[in-house]
Amino acid sequence: MINNKNTKSSNSELIHVSDDSIAIEVIYLKKVFNDKKGIEEVNAVDGISFSIKKGEIFGLLGPNGAGKTTIINILCGLIKQTEGEAFVGGYCVKEDLQDIKEIIGVCPQQAAIYPYLNAKENIEFFGKLHLMDKEEINRRSDRFLDLLGLSKAKGKKAKNYSGGMMRQLNLIIALISDPPILFLDEPTVGMDPRARRKTWEFINSLKKTNKTVILTTHYIEEAEALCDRVAIIEYGKLIAIGSPRELIAKYKAEDLEDVFMKITGRRILEGI
Amino acid sequence: MKLKRILAIVKIEYKSLIRSPAPLYMILLLPVALVLLFSLMFRSIIIEDVGTSVFEFLVPGLYAFSGLFMAVPVSLSFSEEREQGLLKRINTTPMTGSEFIGSHLISNMSMAIIQVAIIAVLTFLMGFRGATEGIVFAFVLMVIFSISTIGFGLITATISKSAKAAGGIIQIFVLPQQFLASGLYPLPTEAKVVSQFMPLHYASDALTLLFNGVALSDINIWVDLIILSLFSIGIIIVGIFLFKKYGKT
Repeated sequence: MINNKNTKSSNSELIHVSDDSIAIEVIYLKKVFNDKKGIEEVNAVDGISFSIKKGEIFGLLGPNGAGKTTIINILCGLIKQTEGEAFVGGYCVKEDLQDIKEIIGVCPQQAAIYPYLNAKENIEFFGKLHLMDKEEINRRSDRFLDLLGLSKAKGKKAKNYSGGMMRQLNLIIALISDPPILFLDEPTVGMDPRARRKTWEFINSLKKTNKTVILTTHYIEEAEALCDRVAIIEYGKLIAIGSPRELIAKYKAEDLEDVFMKITGRRILEGI
Repeated sequence: MKLKRILAIVKIEYKSLIRSPAPLYMILLLPVALVLLFSLMFRSIIIEDVGTSVFEFLVPGLYAFSGLFMAVPVSLSFSEEREQGLLKRINTTPMTGSEFIGSHLISNMSMAIIQVAIIAVLTFLMGFRGATEGIVFAFVLMVIFSISTIGFGLITATISKSAKAAGGIIQIFVLPQQFLASGLYPLPTEAKVVSQFMPLHYASDALTLLFNGVALSDINIWVDLIILSLFSIGIIIVGIFLFKKYGKT
């Protein structure tokens, strides 16, 4: 499903030759938003470059407003970058958006589900958008609902779900088409500790299926528990990248929060 | 274009309407209420010059008036789906823009057909015996007009920041057409000129001609149909353009 052909960016300064082991590549990505009057410019993403290997769980860690969601929105085609290049599954986000949409699953920050439909109906709808058979949708949805403990509530209208249940359903919908690349934007926000643990186990189990996961979070424990590597972002800039263990060792820190503190002089949660 | 995706959205639209039926009342109960009310009020009042009742005179306007109100649930649906993040999410799936609009066209056109059928049956039961061509053509005209209601819905969803605001903003498109172009109210000359810039005017004009016995071969009816079609296509193109550019996020 992933495009393995070699691709080159149109900008000669940003040459990218895709490698079979790379799932996502971001090269000097910039996104500038204008305020409503068009006077003030905000650099939401400011020249970020990184690459993510196939099968890796990669975390974008940073306070609110750091630019994590903007990066995800560019990668899944919801907004266009101002400068730079990005490749998802070997496809260029500027030119091959339709191909990218075939190979990604997106779990947005806001639980985007139809409130008047039950869990099964919501999942079935998004499965059909990926042209899946009803049988396959049922098989996969039953498994995921069971794994996340939502089986008993699958016939209940989503509007009657708790916030945590809605977010779990949000996650299942992202996975229903069995996409090789998955974007999870703050997937556990608003969950109680038990639901969060269960969701972490679920996300961890995706490693066995060799899925590439790009996850945004401002929870330190989440990044440490799930991510093979993390990119720490502040004010749209990449300030550190590596495995949690490497970063903790490099900055002689106790945890990733301490790493952030040592680099920026403030805590991640201050921005929340 | 994949039919499976289009039908998936149509199914969702119908399920949402059935489970949250407030917009359904506007689409289906409003014409019932209007026909019953107008027939009770005006059936016995006869216009001497033409020898028909005021109710019969107003029937073409009832079709047009009811069709116009379909724009309200359409705009609310787009705004709510945007507010709930659903449009953004759908936009990350392989569903294309034309499949998305196509699905809304199908669900809206089928609603228009149901609405026209309700009015045709009820007005018949209330004693209206208009030309059969008029009733058949009412389906065609109102289905074409329903295309413009999607355009109005998209424009409203683009302008409004929330679903609540959309309910008010859609009246910018509904109220002028309701008073100037539905054919329910007598108009001074200046107002008649203004009404010619509204798509509903051409639907109600063609229906009035047909129900008053003008033959289907009459050029004026076909001119009305062509202008209505052009208006509907133009409005939906503007709606799609604005929504794509400013309304999705």
